[in-house]
Amino acid sequence: MAHTLASTRLFNLPASFRFTCVNLARTFSVLNRPPPHYAGHVPLNVFERGAVAAGSAIMSLLNPRRGDLIAALGETTATPYFIYRLRDVMLSSPTGRRILRDRPRITSQTMSVTKLRAMAENTVGRAYVDWLDREGVSPDTRDSVKYIDDEECAYVMQRYRESHDFYHALTGLPVFVEGEVALKAFEFANTLLPMTGLSIFAVTRMKPAERSRFWRTYLPWALSNGLKSKEVINVYWEEQLERDIDDLRAELGLERPPDLRERRKAMKEQRKAAKEKREKMGGLMAD
Amino acid sequence: MVFGNAPRALRPYICSSCAKSLKLRSRKFATAASPDIYDVACVGGGPAGLSLLTALRSSKATSHLRLALIESQDLDRVRKWNLPPDQYSNRASSLTPSSQAFLSQIGAWPHIDTSRVQPYHHMRVWDGLSSTARITFDSPTPEPAIAHMIENQNLTRALLARLDSLEPISLLDKTSVREIHLGPPPSPLTPEPTYLNLSSYPHVTLSSNQTIAARLLIGADGPNSAVRTFAGIETRGYDYNRDGVVATLKLPSSFAHHPSSPRGVTAYQRFLPSGPIALLALPGPYASLVWTTTPSQSALLKTLSPEDFTAMVNAAFRLSAVDLNYMFTLPSNQLSEFQWRDSVHPSTASEAKGEIPHLISSVQQGSIASFPLRLRHASSYTTSRIALIGDAAHTIHPLAGQGLNMGLSDSKALAEAIEYAVCHGADIGDEMGCLDRYKGEVWWGNQRLLGAVDKLHWLYSVGSGPVVGVRKWGLRAVDVMGDLGVKGWLMRQAGGL
Ligand SMILES: Cc1cc2nc3c(=O)[nH]c(=O)nc-3n(C[C@H](O)[C@H](O)[C@H](O)COP(=O)(O)OP(=O)(O)OC[C@H]3O[C@@H](n4cnc5c(N)ncnc54)[C@H](O)[C@@H]3O)c2cc1C
Repeated sequence: MAHTLASTRLFNLPASFRFTCVNLARTFSVLNRPPPHYAGHVPLNVFERGAVAAGSAIMSLLNPRRGDLIAALGETTATPYFIYRLRDVMLSSPTGRRILRDRPRITSQTMSVTKLRAMAENTVGRAYVDWLDREGVSPDTRDSVKYIDDEECAYVMQRYRESHDFYHALTGLPVFVEGEVALKAFEFANTLLPMTGLSIFAVTRMKPAERSRFWRTYLPWALSNGLKSKEVINVYWEEQLERDIDDLRAELGLERPPDLRERRKAMKEQRKAAKEKREKMGGLMAD
Repeated sequence: MVFGNAPRALRPYICSSCAKSLKLRSRKFATAASPDIYDVACVGGGPAGLSLLTALRSSKATSHLRLALIESQDLDRVRKWNLPPDQYSNRASSLTPSSQAFLSQIGAWPHIDTSRVQPYHHMRVWDGLSSTARITFDSPTPEPAIAHMIENQNLTRALLARLDSLEPISLLDKTSVREIHLGPPPSPLTPEPTYLNLSSYPHVTLSSNQTIAARLLIGADGPNSAVRTFAGIETRGYDYNRDGVVATLKLPSSFAHHPSSPRGVTAYQRFLPSGPIALLALPGPYASLVWTTTPSQSALLKTLSPEDFTAMVNAAFRLSAVDLNYMFTLPSNQLSEFQWRDSVHPSTASEAKGEIPHLISSVQQGSIASFPLRLRHASSYTTSRIALIGDAAHTIHPLAGQGLNMGLSDSKALAEAIEYAVCHGADIGDEMGCLDRYKGEVWWGNQRLLGAVDKLHWLYSVGSGPVVGVRKWGLRAVDVMGDLGVKGWLMRQAGGL
């Protein structure tokens, strides 16, 4: 089952390549840059897009704190093909279409953390706010999309970015680095956004023990669950806040990550170390 | 009794001794049980059958033949067919210039109500999956048009009017074929050494209990041809598992294609994963729809409200295949989905450039219908004393709008073969003397056309994978190479020029 889903998802790849040529063909000189398609849009031509992608990839490896570079890398590699594919995934689902119609934004105004903190244990909302609190971030810490030309696809990218913290809550992956990279791997298998795949290169910066746990435990879990579960981009998080999180996992076909007990034990031991590391790494994994 | 006329009609091309014996026989055996003998009896009064009979009657060499038409429908309904100018039949076809020339040649064109006929001068064909690949056909000058859209009933009414204006034939309408058999073996008791042997003549027993015999029996009785079954002619082909959904559509009244408009009129066709959707202009703000869908999609389309059906047609020309597939999963409310998607990706620019058709505003009440689509080709069109024409001989996917035109070209070729046989004193029912000429003229051409249209169907019903890329480049290449004559060649094929 997981296998067929995975293979159909991958097999469909060239089909939607059709969209690519429209965008690839776009060339213009910097002197006659076309008008933006939405507030904050920066139209790039083919060469600039390549330059931004390469530059941000190199720079973010050198300087992992630059969340803005990771965002730029994510946007410039998602076009021309991948973000259209993700948009089509949303357009094929009733809930995905409702999200695209309503275009909800996840900000501290729309997501009141005080209300979320008052929710029952094991609800989606509570798991989400617990994650935010643990990380010391707020819903507002996400960059705005600017390099994606299609206005609707720009929203899809924005939605993906703003839902990222919900994915943490949903997968229950550990907060330390192999959990974070595993979440990227999960996202890659589930959304096929290239940047999430590229982020797996961060595995090179892991300690040997972390790396082996990542290869043996988290990566297999992430890939198989990412492929076999329903597309998480189609979850209308705003409507799921009160829901039991295990219930939602079951609906999406998501298993909990393995070795939960070991993970808890490890968490206790490593919480301190992880915190230090997070401070060091700053925004690298935030995207 | 009509039988008495037979020898006169047969005389020019049967030897005089046979004619004499026929006369003898008719005197001797003309009882109630003996059949009427015709030179040509045609089963089926659709476009193919009517045009054949009209062609035979209007040509000098064949005008004297004794002709009969057997048609299960009431022909008076064809004669009296009349719709107000704001209504169009959902069964309309694209008539190629060569079909039109044939209709003029047999004198039927003047009987056509041309106020209900719409020429078109441009074609826009594009791929619903690779939005960038499109092909444009333009006839270099407004005249001649690529083709004319005409209601099938306007055509059959004209053919019948022309036939009625000529020397009468036996019109056996409201009559169906009950049974077909060969005539009795020659009686050994017959004293004469020569007599007209009817054992090779097909005898048709009608629902009226009358039996007629024919020197040449024509099967123009559509896809489920009884004549073909009697003749034991095999057909090859298969069902596409697709339906052709037809409807008459209305554009906003402010938008009407004028035959005199300098821009001319455009036909639109978009290839979607289930098959093509085509919008063909009718006069005024009207258009004819032919949409190839899966059977479940066509079932859904027929249950939709007029507003939602209209939205689906507009969506099929404008939205992505993803949107369209999704809209096919909804039981209703397609209109709201369409309005939303069209607002996200407005189509106004391509519409202004004429790349896509104008928005449809409504669908004519009761005009939505569907037909299963099939590919069939008879392994032969003829056996002794039998010839098949039109859909009895072949059914084709409607994507190239060729079905009706093929039937007319069969009629033309068969009428010419009969004329040749008559002029050269051959038996019109004889394969070598007449029918082989007809078969040789059209079978291979039809086979090629059927094959090409079939391949197009399969090429375009592939929804993903490398084929989509290949056909995109193919379509683009054809468009780019237009000046090198490729498009001209394709257009000649489409127009049968
Ligand atoms: C959805 C759709 C769209 C089409 N679009 C186009 C188009 O755009 N362009 C085009 O050129 N063609 C088109 N066609 C094809 C076209 O309609 C047919 O090819 C054409 O009608 C064939 O004519 P015909 O005379 O051979 O057969 P028919 O029109 O089927 O006529 C057969 C006649 O025989 C009679 N009959 C049958 N059996 C008997 C019997 N046993 N006894 C007595 N009478 C009998 C019937 O009553 C009927 O009148 C389309 C077809 C479909 C289904």
